[in-house]
Amino acid sequence: MRILLIEDDAVLGAAVRDQIVGDGHSVDWVQRLDAADAAVASVPYDLVLLDLMLPDGRGIPFLRRLRARGEATPVIILTALDQVSDRIEGLNAGADDYLVKPFDLAELSARIGSVARRYGGNPNPLITHGDLQIDLAARSICRGGQPVALTAREWALLEAFLARPGQLLSKAQLEDKLYAFDAEVESNTIEVHISRLRKKLGSALIVTERGLGYRLGQA
Amino acid sequence: MRMPRSLQQRLALSLGLLLTVLWLGAASLTAVRARQSIEEVFDSALQETAQRILPLAVAEVLGRDETDPTQRLAEIRDHDEFLTYAVRDARGRLLLLSHDADPAIFPPWRGAGFSQSATHRFYSEEALQGSVRLTVAEPLAHRTAMGRELQMWLGLPLLIVLPVALGAIVLAVRASLAPLRRFREGLAVRGARDLSRVPVDDLPAEVAPVAETVNGLLARLAAAFEAERSFAANAAHELRTPLAGAIAQAQRLQAEARDAAAQARAADIEATLKRLTRLSERLMQLARAEGGRLRLDHPSDLRMVARILTDELSRLAGAGRLALTVPAAPVMSDLDPDVFAILLRNLVENALRHGAPDAPVEIALTPEGGLSVANEGPVVPREVLSHLVARFERAGASSDGSGLGLAIVQAIAQRLDVALVLQSPRPGQTTGFAASLALPLSPGDPAEG
Repeated sequence: MRILLIEDDAVLGAAVRDQIVGDGHSVDWVQRLDAADAAVASVPYDLVLLDLMLPDGRGIPFLRRLRARGEATPVIILTALDQVSDRIEGLNAGADDYLVKPFDLAELSARIGSVARRYGGNPNPLITHGDLQIDLAARSICRGGQPVALTAREWALLEAFLARPGQLLSKAQLEDKLYAFDAEVESNTIEVHISRLRKKLGSALIVTERGLGYRLGQA
Repeated sequence: MRMPRSLQQRLALSLGLLLTVLWLGAASLTAVRARQSIEEVFDSALQETAQRILPLAVAEVLGRDETDPTQRLAEIRDHDEFLTYAVRDARGRLLLLSHDADPAIFPPWRGAGFSQSATHRFYSEEALQGSVRLTVAEPLAHRTAMGRELQMWLGLPLLIVLPVALGAIVLAVRASLAPLRRFREGLAVRGARDLSRVPVDDLPAEVAPVAETVNGLLARLAAAFEAERSFAANAAHELRTPLAGAIAQAQRLQAEARDAAAQARAADIEATLKRLTRLSERLMQLARAEGGRLRLDHPSDLRMVARILTDELSRLAGAGRLALTVPAAPVMSDLDPDVFAILLRNLVENALRHGAPDAPVEIALTPEGGLSVANEGPVVPREVLSHLVARFERAGASSDGSGLGLAIVQAIAQRLDVALVLQSPRPGQTTGFAASLALPLSPGDPAEG
């Protein structure tokens, strides 16, 4: 997934970014609302993590602007413990979920996964696809009853396909989901990850549409 | 005389007094002047009468026998004689009397002109070198009665008109001061937390500056409250953000460290930072409970806060540990939702910490604003119960500020002027613990907002 992190604190922001990258998502991290406005205008994000107190304003007007433009991108707000009123205001303004600072990074990962699944149309974290049993919440996958280990990038790629079953995804779209805009991406990176996924989970899992992209194979 | 403190009474009293004095003065002056005029008119009539009668009297006296005794004129028609007269000669012998005249009232001759006895006013005139002397008498009682009647007619309206005028003054003063009274009543009925502007439109020019000053004061007060609120929020943010960053970094360190010892150290750092966070959160809550503004000028639905908070605490405590009961209708209160959240959070965390782990903590919000948090567990002795709300008094041992929970709730309850009721065993049962308090509800339609 391509995630926008809006957080002004450098230490917290770096830890959150590393956690999300560790989960295999791509992150664009901005520290100001004006940069956030520019980012959402240019990139179709899958999820936004929004701190409510930023140097150039509060997060809630940004959220309202986003929703006023008709953007349905899931938004998780990061709020302070004692500001329940902010939380209510944020949820009323169109936030999908909230995290109370300080939060556990594991909790953050779980929330991101759950919000993303809700938007993918299947809130159930347990997916069966052919001979694969996938638990998205626990990040575990079994093939024919045998556990299989995936890297973070491979998970992110698999999630992208599972979130849009049957839909064609271009190589550029997949790169967007795996890498932030300042990352250097080798031209054949996606092909490498897809061939590894096929090797681990079966060659029928991902179908190549030559010249167009890839889609999830029939179960 | 001390003036009354009421402006209305003061105005009515001074205007009424002034009006009475002026009116009485004017009436007295009129009475004196009128009396003088009446005297002049009567005197003139008296003089005129005497001068008209004198030639007739002379003709009468001359035309009769020198030896005739005093003649009393016969009455032409029966009537009360108002003016009487006597004609005397130079030696004082009575020559002629009008028919009702009493010779005794006429004083000895003292020359022509006006004179006065205790009962009568006289005018005398003589002719034929004093051989015929005429004196006309007019009873003074008549003049006095006239004067009294005049005074009465000048005074009588005063008796009727003055009370009416005084009543009118009171009404006029009341009407003029009505905007002032409405202003005062408007100030009196507004809630203690209502810092909105006072309407100035219909106030008299003299009082409008007062209202403007009040509005200025209210605005400064509201700004001060808001500044305090945002300062507290900013300070909390400044404290919380680096802690959150440090905790997150410690967690990343654990995830990235290959070495088990380094992982353990990072876990220690994380645990310490979390304890520090909890303690600072509690101290900030206590500061808020003791110093901050607890009530807002607009109401909000407490059910929403209760739901959000139950959801948040369930994430930490595990699903099924919390059971929330709220009414179907909104529970509107001007209590700051964040303050309500502090109350509820502390009561629930206390219940989770000390309650039996296998039974849910029951949170109930009633339509009347009653909040109760009850948990299963052993009975807390009465003497312990009474010490629970003391600051840093802990039922269990910990150094993360958890002992502050009930003290924070108690501080807020005291400032809201409601009682925090601690019961063990919980009502209707033989075990457990319950804390409850009655929250202030907003008056008015509970469905709005």
